Amino acid sequence: MNKLNRNYLNMPLYRAENERRSVENTLALLNKLRKNPVVGYVIFALILTVTQILSSAGLVNSSFVYAIGSTLIFCVVSLGFCLLLGYSALASLGTAGFIGIGAYCTYYCLAEWGLTIGVAFIMSIVIALIVGAIVGYISLRIEGIYLAIVTLGISQIIKEVLAALVDTIKIKGSQITLFGIDSLKLKTESIFYIIVGMMLLLMIITHNIMNSPTGRAMLAMKNSTSAAQAFGISLMKYRLLAFMISIIYAAIAGMLFMLYNRYVSNSSSTLFTLSTSLNILGAVIIGGMKSIWGTVAGTFIIYGIDKMFLQDIEFFRENPTLITLFCGILVVVVIMFYPGGLAQLLMEVKYKVEAFIRKKKEGKYGKDLG
Amino acid sequence: MPIASYLQILIGVIPSMCAGILATFAVTLIFKTSYTTNFAQGVISAIGAYVAVELTLVYGLPLWAVAFVGVIVAFIVGVAIDVLIFRNGRYVNALGKQIITMGLISIFIGLIPFVFKVAQFESVPVLPFIHLTQGITVGDVFIQYNTIISLVVTVVLLVAVFILLQKSKWGLSVRATASNEIVAGMMGINTKVITAVSWGIAGSFGAVAATLYIGNVTLSSGYIMTTTQINAFLAGILGGFATFYGPIFGAVIIYMLNVLIGCICIHVPVLSNWKPAIVYFIVMLLVLWKPHGLFGKKMVKKV
Amino acid sequence: MAKILDKKLSSVQNKLLSLRQKLDFYQEELDYLDEKYQAKMDKVLSAFIKKADKKLEKYAFEACDKEAYAQAVIEEKLQKYDVKAYMKHREANHGAAKAIFAGGNVSEALAKNKEQIALINAKRKEYIDRLEAEKAEFLQKNSATSDKAYNELSKQLKAEFDAKENELKVKLDGKKAKEKASIEAKISKLQSKITELHGQLKSSDKLEDDVLLDIEGLKMYFGGLKAVDDLSFKVKKGEIFGLIGPNGAGKTTVFNCITQFYKPTAGKIRFAISENEVITLTDYKVHDIVLKGISRTFQNIEVVKEVTVLENLLIAATRYYNSNLFTQMFHLPALKREEQIMRAKADKILKYMDLYSYRDRLAWGLPYGVLKRIEIARALMCNPKLIILDEPAAGLNESETADLAALIHKIRTDMGCTILLVEHDMSLVMSICDHICAISFGKKLACGTPAEVQASKEVQEAYLGSGGE
Repeated sequence: MNKLNRNYLNMPLYRAENERRSVENTLALLNKLRKNPVVGYVIFALILTVTQILSSAGLVNSSFVYAIGSTLIFCVVSLGFCLLLGYSALASLGTAGFIGIGAYCTYYCLAEWGLTIGVAFIMSIVIALIVGAIVGYISLRIEGIYLAIVTLGISQIIKEVLAALVDTIKIKGSQITLFGIDSLKLKTESIFYIIVGMMLLLMIITHNIMNSPTGRAMLAMKNSTSAAQAFGISLMKYRLLAFMISIIYAAIAGMLFMLYNRYVSNSSSTLFTLSTSLNILGAVIIGGMKSIWGTVAGTFIIYGIDKMFLQDIEFFRENPTLITLFCGILVVVVIMFYPGGLAQLLMEVKYKVEAFIRKKKEGKYGKDLG
Repeated sequence: MPIASYLQILIGVIPSMCAGILATFAVTLIFKTSYTTNFAQGVISAIGAYVAVELTLVYGLPLWAVAFVGVIVAFIVGVAIDVLIFRNGRYVNALGKQIITMGLISIFIGLIPFVFKVAQFESVPVLPFIHLTQGITVGDVFIQYNTIISLVVTVVLLVAVFILLQKSKWGLSVRATASNEIVAGMMGINTKVITAVSWGIAGSFGAVAATLYIGNVTLSSGYIMTTTQINAFLAGILGGFATFYGPIFGAVIIYMLNVLIGCICIHVPVLSNWKPAIVYFIVMLLVLWKPHGLFGKKMVKKV
Repeated sequence: MAKILDKKLSSVQNKLLSLRQKLDFYQEELDYLDEKYQAKMDKVLSAFIKKADKKLEKYAFEACDKEAYAQAVIEEKLQKYDVKAYMKHREANHGAAKAIFAGGNVSEALAKNKEQIALINAKRKEYIDRLEAEKAEFLQKNSATSDKAYNELSKQLKAEFDAKENELKVKLDGKKAKEKASIEAKISKLQSKITELHGQLKSSDKLEDDVLLDIEGLKMYFGGLKAVDDLSFKVKKGEIFGLIGPNGAGKTTVFNCITQFYKPTAGKIRFAISENEVITLTDYKVHDIVLKGISRTFQNIEVVKEVTVLENLLIAATRYYNSNLFTQMFHLPALKREEQIMRAKADKILKYMDLYSYRDRLAWGLPYGVLKRIEIARALMCNPKLIILDEPAAGLNESETADLAALIHKIRTDMGCTILLVEHDMSLVMSICDHICAISFGKKLACGTPAEVQASKEVQEAYLGSGGE
C-alpha cells in the first residue's frame, strides 16, 4: 500500500510545525461546527440563558432581561414568516388575531378551567389550525395575493369576537404550573427559560424545513408556479402549509405572551391590532425574509431597541408612533432598494471584506499570471 | 313594531354603506390599474378627513369648504405615492407593491400625530354636515338629513364616474390600461398618467368616504377607516375584480347582510357580539361557492 | 355507470402508480448501495491511515536522508520568498513604466529600475546564503540515519492495515448483502403486489400496439379563439415525435393541454402507462401528471433561479420522497437516507448531461445554454416515459443545435424515453424526428414521416417556402 510510504519531505521541521498542525486540526473542527448553523442557534440560546441566570443573581437589570424576553416572543412570531413570506411569497396580515387565539386559549385553560400548560399549548394550536385552515383554503383557492385581504379581515373579526368574550384576561402566578403539579410553580424567570427553549426548538425546526424537500418545493413555487406544478408540487398544498406554520408560530407566541405577562387588556393593548401585524411584517422584511438570523435581528430592531433602550428616554415614551413611522419608512426603503434586507446587506459586506483581504494578499497587481 | 325597527336599522347603515361603496370603488380602481391591493387606502382616506377636521376645528372654517381641501390633499397624496414610490423601486413585483402599501400605513400612522394638531385632542366630536338631530320623520322612522346628504353625494359620484368610464375617452383609457397595460401603452395611451391619476382619484374617493364617515364616528385615530377598508376588500373579492361594477354590488351585499343580521339581532340580542363574525362567515361561504367573485370570470394564464 | 367504473379503475391504477414509485425508489437505493458501502470503508480506512502516519512520524525523521531533506526545505522556503520577490519585481517595473508614461526622464527611470532590481537580487542571494549556512549547520548536527525502527514499525502497521481492511471488508460485505437482500425482498414483494393488482385491471380501454400517447379530436377554445381545432395524432413508444407549425399555430397550447395546464374544451388524451393500463390525462390535476411518467421543459426557461443547480434537480423529485412533514421538521435519519439517494441520482444525471461542474452554483446568472440543459436534466430526474420538449433549440446556434440533436438521440437510447417536441428549427426536426405532425391555426396539416410531411402540398403552402431542407 503506497499510502504508507512516508513522504520525507512533508515531515515536520521543528516542534513549531507540530504545534501548527494541532492548531490546524482544532481550526478544522471549529470550521466544521461553524458550518452547521444549528450550533449558532444553540450558542444564542446559551447566551440568553446565561443572561437570565445573571439577572436572577442580581448582576443584570431584570427589566432589561424582561424586555429581551418580550422581544423573543415576537421573534417566535417572526420566524413563522420566514417560510410564509421568504419561501412562499405570501403576505399575511392576520398574525395579531392568531396571537390573540393563543393568548385567550391559554387564559381559558389555565385561569378558567385549571388545566396544564400542555393542554393550553395543544388547544391553542388546534383552534388556530382550524380557523387558519378554513380561512387559508378559501382565499388560496383564488390566488395567493388575496390571502392578505382575507387575513386582514379575520384578524379584525377575531379581535372583536375575543373582546366580546372577555375584555381583560389575567392569569394568576399560582395557576401556571408545570404538568399541573402545584409544587412546581413557575415564576417569570422560569418562563424566560421556556421561551428560550421554545425559540431554539422553532429555530431548528424552521431551519430543517428550509433545507428539506418541502422548503425547496416552496422556493420552486415562489419562483415559477409552472415549473412547480409540472413537477408535482401542488400550489394549494404548499401555500396552505406555509400559512398554517406561520399561524401556529403566532399561536405559540400568544401562549408564551400570556405566560410571561399574565395580563392583557383587549381594548387598550395594541397587541391584537393591525399595528402588531404590520410591525411583525416590517421586522421580517427589514431583517431579511429568507434568513432566520435576519428575522431575529429585524425583530430586535423593531421591538427590542424600543423595549430595551428607548423606553428609558422620555421623548420616545411620549411619541410611541415614532417607532411605527420608523418601521414603515424602513419597510418601503428596503422593498424598493434592498429586497434582501439586513441579511443581504451583511452578506454583501462579508463578500466585500473577503475580496478586500484577497486583494491585499495578492498585492497590487493581482494573482500571479505565471 | 318590528318593521319600523328594521327600517331604522337599514337607514342607520346607509352612511357607512356610502363610505364603503366609495372606498370599494377606490380599491377596485387601483387594483385594476396597478395590479395591487392598496392597503394604505384607509389611512389616506383618514388623512383627507384629518385635513378637513383640522381646518374646521382649529381654524374654524366651514365643513363644506374644507371637505374639498381634504379631497384635494388626498388626491395629491395618492398621485405622489404612485409617482414617487412605485415608479422608483428597482425590483418591485406584485408582492413588493402590496408590502409597500402596508409600509405606507405605518408611515402615515406615524406621521399623523406630528402633522395634525387634532390628533392630540382628547376627543374629537362627530362632524356631520347637518347636525344629527335634524332630519325628517316618515311614519315611525327617523331619517337624518346627514344620511340623505351622504346618499346623494355617493350616488352622484358613482353615476358620474361610471358614465365617464363608459362614455368618455378617459374612461376608455382606464379600461384599456386595466385590461392590459403594455398593449394599452402601445396603443398610444399614456399609462403612466392614467395610473397616477387613478391613484389620485382613489385617494380622493377615499377622502370623501372618510368625510362622510366622520359624520357618525369620531376621528379617534388614523385607523378609523380600517373596518370600511376591510369591507371594501371583501366586497372586491365577493364581487370579483374582473369588472368595475362587481365590487360595488359586493359592497351593497355586505352592508345589507349587516342589516339582515342586525334585524335578527333585535330578536336574539346575544348574537350582536358575533355580528361581524357572522357576516364575514357568510361572505367567505359565498367566496367559497364562487371563487372568482359573483360577477367574475376565471382568467387563464399563458404558460 | 361507466363513470363510476372508471373511478374504480382509477383507484387501482393510482395504487399501482404509487407502488411503482416505491419500486423505482428501491431500485435507486439498490444502485446506490455499492457507493454507500465504499464510502463507509474509505472513511474508516483513511482514519486508520491518519493514525498510522502519526505513529510513523516519530521515527520518520531519524530514518530520512538528511541531505535531501535539508535541500527540500531550502527549496520550499525559497519558493515562498520568490513569490514576494516577484511582487517586488513587478512593483519596480510598474514604477518605472509609470514614471516614463508620466513624461519623466527615460534613462533616469531605467537606471533607477536597474538599481532596484539589483537590490532585490542581492537580497535574494543573501537569503540563499543564509539558508545554505543553516543547512550546513543542520547537517553537522544531524548526520545519523537509522531507518531500522521506521521500517519495523512500517511493516507492522501495514500488516495491521491489511488485517483491518480484510476484517472491515468481511463485515461490510455481510452488512451490504443483508441490506441488499432486504431491499430485494421488498422489491419482489412489491413486484408481486403489482402483478396482482395488474391482474385486477380490466381495462376497457386499449391503445393500439406500441402507441404511447393518443390524442383524439383535441379542441381548445379560448372564448371565440380556436387555438386548437380538432387535432388528432398518435405517438408511438420510443420514437421521437415532432410537432411543427408557424408561430401561433397552437403548438404550445397542445402541450399545455396534454400536461393539463389547460383543460381542453373537448377531445380525448389517452396515455398508456403499461400494457393494460391506459389513463385519460384530463382526469388528473396538473400537479399529478409527473407521477404518470410525463415530464416537460418550458419554452421560457422556468429554472428556479434562487437555488443551486443540484437543488433544481432535487425539486423535480419532490413527489418521490416518502418522508412526511414530521420527519422533515427534525431531519430524522429516514430523510437523510432519502436525500443521499436522491443526491446520488441527481449527480448521475448531472454527469450525464455534462453539468457536474455547475452542481453547487446558483442557477441565477448562468448562461442560456446551461439553463436549457438544466431544464432537460430536470425532466430526466423523474424517470419519465414521455418527455415533452418545448422549443429546445430556441436561441441555440448551429453547433449547439447539433449537440442537442445528439443529446436527444442519446436520451432516447439510454433512458428508453419517448420524446415529443415542438420546434421551429426545420433542420433539427427533419433530422431527428421519426414522425412529424404539422399544424397551422390549430388544425392538422399533415402527419407522417419527415419525407412525407415535406412533400405535402398543404405544409409547403403554409410555411416551408424556399428555405426548407
